[in-house]
Amino acid sequence: MKHGKIVANPAAHAPVTKTLRPALFARYADLANLRHDYPLVLVDFGEGRPLVRPLSRIIDGTLRLVAPKDLTGEAMRQQLLQLEADIRRRVLAGEEARLSDFWRDCTAEMIRAKGEGPFGGLDNNFEIARKRLPYDGLVIGCNGETPAKVLRHAWSAKQAAKARRFRRVVDSLILRLSDILKSDHMKSDEAHGAEALEAAMGATADGSIDFGALSAVLERARPEDRLPVDRVARIRDALQVLKGQPFYGPGRASDTTPCKRDPYNYTFDTCSAALDAYRDRLPDVLAFTKALTVAELEVENKYRPELHDQILARFDESDMSAEQINMLPSALVCLRDGETVSAETARSFEALACGLPITVLVQVDDLLGPTSPEPPVNSFGAGTARLAAMAMGLNNAFVCQTSSAHINRMIDGLERGMRYEGPALFSIYSGATPNVPDVEPYILSAAATEARAFPSFTYDPSAGSDWASRFSLAGNPEAEKDWPVHEVVYENAKGERQTETLAFTFADFAICDSRYTRFCHLSDACEDALDRVSAAEWLTCVPDTDPTRSPCVRVIDPENQLFSVVVDTKIAEAASRCIDAWRRLQELAGINNSHSRRALAEERLKREATSTQQAAAPAAKAVEADAKPVEKPAVPEPAAPVESATSDGAAWIETPRCTTCNECVQTNDKLFAYNENMQAYVADPDGGTYRQLVEAAESCQVSIIHPGLPRNPDEPDLPELIERAAAFN
Amino acid sequence: MTATMSQCLAQMVQTDYAMKDYQSEIAPRWCTGCGDTAILTAMQRLCRDEQLPPEKTVCVSGIGCASRLPHYMNAYGFHGIHGRALPIAEGIKIRRPDLNVFVTTGDGDNCSIGAAHWLHAVRYNMNMVVMLHDNQVYGLTKKQASPTSPKGLSTNTTPGGAMLNPLNPLTVTLGISNVSFVAQCVDWIPDLLYETLQMAYRHKGFSFIRILQRCPNFMDHHFDNWMQDPARTRLLTHSNGLRLKPEISRVYKNQETHDPRDMPRALALAALSDEVPVGVLYRNPDVPCYDELRAGERPSTPALVETVLNEEFDKVGIWPAESEQAER
Repeated sequence: MKHGKIVANPAAHAPVTKTLRPALFARYADLANLRHDYPLVLVDFGEGRPLVRPLSRIIDGTLRLVAPKDLTGEAMRQQLLQLEADIRRRVLAGEEARLSDFWRDCTAEMIRAKGEGPFGGLDNNFEIARKRLPYDGLVIGCNGETPAKVLRHAWSAKQAAKARRFRRVVDSLILRLSDILKSDHMKSDEAHGAEALEAAMGATADGSIDFGALSAVLERARPEDRLPVDRVARIRDALQVLKGQPFYGPGRASDTTPCKRDPYNYTFDTCSAALDAYRDRLPDVLAFTKALTVAELEVENKYRPELHDQILARFDESDMSAEQINMLPSALVCLRDGETVSAETARSFEALACGLPITVLVQVDDLLGPTSPEPPVNSFGAGTARLAAMAMGLNNAFVCQTSSAHINRMIDGLERGMRYEGPALFSIYSGATPNVPDVEPYILSAAATEARAFPSFTYDPSAGSDWASRFSLAGNPEAEKDWPVHEVVYENAKGERQTETLAFTFADFAICDSRYTRFCHLSDACEDALDRVSAAEWLTCVPDTDPTRSPCVRVIDPENQLFSVVVDTKIAEAASRCIDAWRRLQELAGINNSHSRRALAEERLKREATSTQQAAAPAAKAVEADAKPVEKPAVPEPAAPVESATSDGAAWIETPRCTTCNECVQTNDKLFAYNENMQAYVADPDGGTYRQLVEAAESCQVSIIHPGLPRNPDEPDLPELIERAAAFN
Repeated sequence: MTATMSQCLAQMVQTDYAMKDYQSEIAPRWCTGCGDTAILTAMQRLCRDEQLPPEKTVCVSGIGCASRLPHYMNAYGFHGIHGRALPIAEGIKIRRPDLNVFVTTGDGDNCSIGAAHWLHAVRYNMNMVVMLHDNQVYGLTKKQASPTSPKGLSTNTTPGGAMLNPLNPLTVTLGISNVSFVAQCVDWIPDLLYETLQMAYRHKGFSFIRILQRCPNFMDHHFDNWMQDPARTRLLTHSNGLRLKPEISRVYKNQETHDPRDMPRALALAALSDEVPVGVLYRNPDVPCYDELRAGERPSTPALVETVLNEEFDKVGIWPAESEQAER
């Protein structure tokens, strides 16, 4: 049978004995031949690089660079796509390696298969393409380990970036503190001694220089101002703490001497362990934060013991700010549904609520849970799907929910969550559940999102102050609808091509689970039977209006035969719970918001009640009033103070134009003086003679001294001086 | 980051620097009436108004009368060698970007022996303020012609009068790539000198100010034509440039509104011969600074330098004894 071709079952009365799949799965039976988001490359982190990139996109990008669009590029296109398919097949079989390793192995195999040797046409093509590959990194498939791998990768990338920032700050502080100590040391006896001077000359000293005599010469010019002892001690202490910090490893060529102890590990299996570790490390964190503060003050020469000693002595954890905590690594806790003990769920909420930078991954493998309500055993149970929605209530935590299949689409949310400075919860459905045999985790996890059983969403408290900016449902298929709708094409009993539009509902998702198979019954096959409606339709309206009709879903068997199955109330009820939860999420995202609909309805009623004319008149007036500009009270501009010759004939200087040339103050420093800007003014008109005033005016380079009229009528030669002064008045 | 905490603690330390805090113990030894005093005063005013800590301020100079300025500032100083003020300042800035670097240089120092450094310093556009004290003569060595001496000036080296047209430091600077700030001042309008210096300090990049400076000893009355006739001083004003006080406006009525982004007009103004343009001729804050481009992700610690060098050496490491054996 041709792949994906569905044939309508002519008569089906058989009970459900074989594995049934939703009809919409038919197209995706053979993942090896489908270009999808997996294999996914966890790109080696670096500036400007994405966190992850699907292999198919990397190959497409490379093809655009190396294969011309016309026929000449066709051969290379086929070869690379073949290579991509080979890698995908290997990854589906469970292999995992770096992209460059896969590339090398697969191309070698293809070249061997074609019978070519190295440096042949095929090898050449692969080599050209390899050189244009933009990224390298681990290639992973979609399985039970995927969510943890992706999240650990994203977390490591964030820690690497944090470590770089941290080292930049700390290394530069260490360098500058060391400089201070070094310059102080250069003034010491030791640095001026003959031994130090000889060592400074290096190995070439041949005895021709008498370093003892040189030391004695230098001694005379030695600066006296050594640093205070307590300051040197303070800088030494800070340096020691900064160099021995145990939070990040020393990194490449870091100035920090390698820690005596290993750097702390920040990945945990339980939230309790993460919280305990936080408490244990608190003394180190406090010591480091203090040292950092001292260092920052010392390099600016702003540390004053009389002010700062007391404050720093009192400094404890309650004084720590979010910025200080965020400089250090954040913790990563990976929890797994079914493996982590239930009590840890409560602990994870505690950890998230306390506001510490902690990133929690809750990996969900089994979404549906047992068929009857029972106390959960090592499982988050039926609440799993709602865990992320519950965490939004904490309000300060970043929350992201998605499934393995949608990780690449939600990578932006993942990155934002990693950047978020505070607690973050990632709830990811892996699709790898033992209760659904024979369905690839990729398909099942995609189905969970499609069926609204595990919708993708993000809640980012840092994005704004309201729901509209914080909450996003982007990434869900047809988010504005109840269920996403697809077309299915099949062949009916007469061999005719038929098209049917099907909604993918929660019921479609649930029937995959072996535990729920017994709640489905094969339908009587008559497609138009009156008592059968599609599950989607049934969930929308039927239960209220027509209890006799029951919901059914379209399924296929392993031979691609099309059936309808009627689903039991068990599934139908679960489906209505699911759609209810989905609609609440929609409301948060502003889709069919009940408040606004209610307000809209009320507004409409009001409008109908009031006549449009009555409403229009005052509105027009209001608009007019708004448009009228507010008149500013006229404030007269303050008149600029204008200095000018005083009418009483007092001497004065155009002070702002003074060039500080010292001419006048050297003539008489009682008469003339400098103001706070070192510009001259007449300080005391009686402090000197009129002759001095006139001479100063004459010698002033910029001619800004105005002698005015003589104050002492008895001064000799007044008529002559007045005449000379006239030029400057 | 703990920046907030250490900033809060740093704010507790009250600093209130006054003019005298920037005056060193050495009294200026410039001739009475020398224009350099006005420049020193303007600089000290700037330091006080911007509250620059003396220990975070460096004055670098070459050789000449102007280059004595670092001695009179109570700050770090480097009285360098002739013409080499700029390379020294660049070295300081790249190693200690936290310092405020000021360069004082003269027309002989900068435009003659140091001309090559000047061109490249403009191109590097490192964040510093350069004050070219241009008295158009070598004063410290008792009157020789400098590159900016006017044609016909009789000096000890040109007794028959200088034979060449002078070099125009403004047009030269404006013509160099990456130029980001060019201004001209005259020492006899100290208010505008201060304002321009302040704009130069606040500009991020290489701020070049040419200051026409009187030398009462060897060039007495040389600038009288401009000093006594305010109409020959053209003040360049702009909302992004100089803003004039009324007492200045009253004296200097020859004003032009000039957008500092307008390079063609800046070149035309710089080339004026009968008038002296005063103000900001050109300013472009978007030119990249070499010190910022060079600032790596990590500080260049001795350990980093050693590691990087060792990595490079290891690339070409050879072990002759072993390799010979292997070949055999």
